[in-house]
Amino acid sequence: MRVIMLVCGTVLVLTCTAFLFYEYITYRDITKRELQTLGQVTASNSTAALAFDSKEDADEILQALKLQKHIVVALLFDKDGKLFASYPLSVSPENVPSSIGKYGYRFTGKFIEGFEPVTQGDERLGTLFLRSDTKAIYQRFVLYGIIALAFILLSFVFAYLLSKRLQASISDPILELADKAKIVSDKKDYSIRAEKKTGDEIGTLTDAFNHMLTQIQIQNDEINALNANLEQKVVIRTRELQKANNSLSEQNEFIQTIIDSSVDVIAVFDKDFNCLVANKQAANIYGNKKDELVGSNLLKTFPAIKETNLIANVEKAFKGETVYDHVYKSVIPGHFFQNFFIPLKNDKDVVDRVLIIAHDITSIIGANEELKQLNAELEKSNRDLEQFAYVASHDLQEPLRKIQIFSELSTKNLQHQDIAKRYLEKIQSSAKRMTDLIKAVLNYSRLSKSSNEFTNVDLNEVMRNMQVDFELLIEEKKAIIKCDPLPLVKGIPLQLNQLFLNLFSNSMKFSEKQPEITVTSSIISPDQAQGFGKNGTSYHQIVFSDNGIGFDQQYAEQVFSIFQRLHSNDQYAGTGIGLALCKKIVENHSGYISVKSDQGKGTSFFIYLPVTQSDDNVQPAQSNIVATKI
Amino acid sequence: MVVLLVMTGFSLQSHSQTRANQVKAVFLFNFAQFVDWPANSFSSPTSPFVIGILGNDPFGFYIDKVIEGEKVDSHPIVVQRYNDADDIRNCNILFTSKSYSAIKNLQNRSILTVGDQNDFAADGGMIRFFIENNKIKLQINLKAAKAASLNISSKLLRLADVIE
Repeated sequence: MRVIMLVCGTVLVLTCTAFLFYEYITYRDITKRELQTLGQVTASNSTAALAFDSKEDADEILQALKLQKHIVVALLFDKDGKLFASYPLSVSPENVPSSIGKYGYRFTGKFIEGFEPVTQGDERLGTLFLRSDTKAIYQRFVLYGIIALAFILLSFVFAYLLSKRLQASISDPILELADKAKIVSDKKDYSIRAEKKTGDEIGTLTDAFNHMLTQIQIQNDEINALNANLEQKVVIRTRELQKANNSLSEQNEFIQTIIDSSVDVIAVFDKDFNCLVANKQAANIYGNKKDELVGSNLLKTFPAIKETNLIANVEKAFKGETVYDHVYKSVIPGHFFQNFFIPLKNDKDVVDRVLIIAHDITSIIGANEELKQLNAELEKSNRDLEQFAYVASHDLQEPLRKIQIFSELSTKNLQHQDIAKRYLEKIQSSAKRMTDLIKAVLNYSRLSKSSNEFTNVDLNEVMRNMQVDFELLIEEKKAIIKCDPLPLVKGIPLQLNQLFLNLFSNSMKFSEKQPEITVTSSIISPDQAQGFGKNGTSYHQIVFSDNGIGFDQQYAEQVFSIFQRLHSNDQYAGTGIGLALCKKIVENHSGYISVKSDQGKGTSFFIYLPVTQSDDNVQPAQSNIVATKI
Repeated sequence: MVVLLVMTGFSLQSHSQTRANQVKAVFLFNFAQFVDWPANSFSSPTSPFVIGILGNDPFGFYIDKVIEGEKVDSHPIVVQRYNDADDIRNCNILFTSKSYSAIKNLQNRSILTVGDQNDFAADGGMIRFFIENNKIKLQINLKAAKAASLNISSKLLRLADVIE
C-alpha cells in the first residue's frame, strides 16, 4: 500500500516537474520570440518616421505598444544613437540603456530586453530598444504549478482508493506468503506450508512457494547427511594424519638421538658458515648450548677460525669434494680433531651445505706426544748407554790394565818380596778403584724415576742432613756455608740428598783455600724459564756457589757427562760420575741443571726444579739463614 | 566659375536655411528607399541611380557627401545638375526650386519630381517640401506619382500630406 502510494507520488511529481520545466523553457522561448516579432514589426513601421524626421509618427507608432501590457519601455534611437522617440512618452532615466548594445534579445533579471535595427532596404536608419516584463511568464507558471498540484492530489486520492481495493485480492495473500517466508527463514523450519486460498495467480504462487519449500527440505536433509559423512571422513583423516605425524616425529627423535649420541662432532653449515645442524657433542666441545649453536655464525662465534684451514676445507667441500683432514688443531686450546668435510647437495644437484664430522683425537695426539717423549727419552738413554759402554770400557780398563801389568810384574818379581809387595799393593788399589767405579756405575744406573717415590721434600731438611754428614770435613776444612731458606719440593728424598751431597762434596773437593759455599733460592717465572722449561711452569732456582778452583767455561757441558773428568785421578780423586749423577737426578725431577764457572775463582751450579701446586705456597717455617761457620 | 558662385551663394545662406537644405538633401536620398521605380527605369543592374538637380542647387557639396558610396539595390547613386530640363536624360529623382511648369514636359517619365514651390504638388509635381512648426514636411501628389508608375510606400504616405 505504502509502496504503491510512494511509486504513484514519485512518478507524478517527476512527471509534473518535467512538464513544468519543459513548459518554462518553451514559454521563455516563446516570449522571447514574441518580443522579437513585436520589435521587428515596430522597427519596420518606424523607418519612415526616422527617415523623414517625423517624431509625431514615431510617437504614434510607439504608443501603439500600450496594448502589449508586458512592454515596460520602448525606445527609438536615430542613426547617430540619439533618442528619437519613446514609450511611454516620458521615460525614467533608469529605463534608458547607457549605450546601444548588440542586436538580439536576452533575459536580464526580471526583464527580457533587446535591440532591433531599424532599416529600410539597405539603409540603417536607427535602433529600437524594447524591454518586456517577465511577470507574465511567472504568472503563467504559478498557474501551471497550481494545476499540477491539484492533479497530483487528485491522482493520489485515486491511487489510494484503487490500491485499497487491489490489496484485498492481491497484496494480502502475498503478504501472508511473505510472513510464512520470514517464519521459515527465522526458524529454519522447512516443514511450514502456506495455505492456498484462491485458484488465480496468487494460488499458483502459493503452490510454487510450497513446492520450493518441499525441495529445500529434501535438499537440506541431503546436505545434512553429506555433512555428517564429511565430518566423519575429516575425523578419520585427522586421526591418520596424527598417527603419521607421531611416527614421523618419533623417527625424527630417533635420528636426533643417534646424531646426539655420536661421540663425533656432527655439524652442517651453509655457505656463509651459519650452523644449520649441530649435535650434542658439538655443543659439549664448543662449550655452547646446542640451541645457541644452531643458527649462529661460525665466523662470528669463533673469529679465530678464519685463520685455520678448516675454512679452506669447507670451501673445498662446497666445490663438491669430500675432504679429509687427518689432524686439525682446533682453535679451542688443546683440542685436536680428525675432520671430514662432506658436501651436501640440494634437489638441484648443487652443493649448498657442508656436513662436518669431527672426531676428537686429542687423547690420541696426547698419547702420541707421550710416546714421542718416551721415545726421545729412550733414545737419550740409549745414547747414554753407548757413552756409558764406551767410557766404562775405557775407564774400567784402566785399573784392569794396571792389575794385568802389575800382576805380570809381580809374577816376574816373586823373588823380590819388596817389589812384589809394592806391585801387589798397586793391584789392590786398582782393584779397589775398580770396585768404586763399578759401585758408582751401579749407583747411576739404579737411579729410578718411579713416581710413587715422589713425596714432599723439605730442602732445608736435606741441607741439614748434608751438613751433619759432612760435619767432620767441614770442621777440617773450616768451610763457611751460607744458606737461604729453601723451598719444599716434590721429589725423591734419597735422590735429592744425593744431589746436594755430590754438589757439596765437589765444592769441598775442588778447593785450595778455605771453602765458602753459598746456597740461594728464588722462583723464576715461566717467561724466564723459556729455553729449558716446560711452557707455563714456574721453577725454583737453587744456586750452589763456591770459591773453588773452577774450570774453563767451555767444559760447562762436558762436566755433566758420565766419567768425564777434567783432572787426573791423582790430582783430585773421583769416579767422574758425580755430576752425571746430579744431572740425572735433576732430570728425574723434571728439572734442569747448568753450571757457570770462572777458573780459579769459583763455580756456580744452577738447579731448576718445577714449582708444583702443593709446594707453591708452602714455604716451610725455617730460620732465615743457616749460616754455619764451624 | 559656377562652383564658385554656388559656394558663395551657399555661404551667404542663413544657418537655419542651411540646416533645412541639409535635411532636404537627406530626404532626397531617403526617398530612394521608400519609392519603387518600374524595372525599365534602369538599363542594367549596375546603371546609376540618378538624383538630378535642375536650376539653382541649394545643397552644394552636402548632397554629394550624403550619397557618397551609397547604392539603391545594386545601383550606385550619382548626383547630376542641370540648367535646362531638356538636358535631363536618365533621372530617377529630380529636385527643382523652379515651379512645376519648368518640368511639365517630364510628366510621363518615371521621375520622382520634388520641389519646394508653393503650388508644386498641386500643379502636378509629386512631392513638395514645406515648413510647418519649424519642421520640414512633405506634401505628396499620389495621382501624379501613380501616373508616372511610381509606387510610394504607405509608410511614407502615412507621415505626408497627401493630395489627389
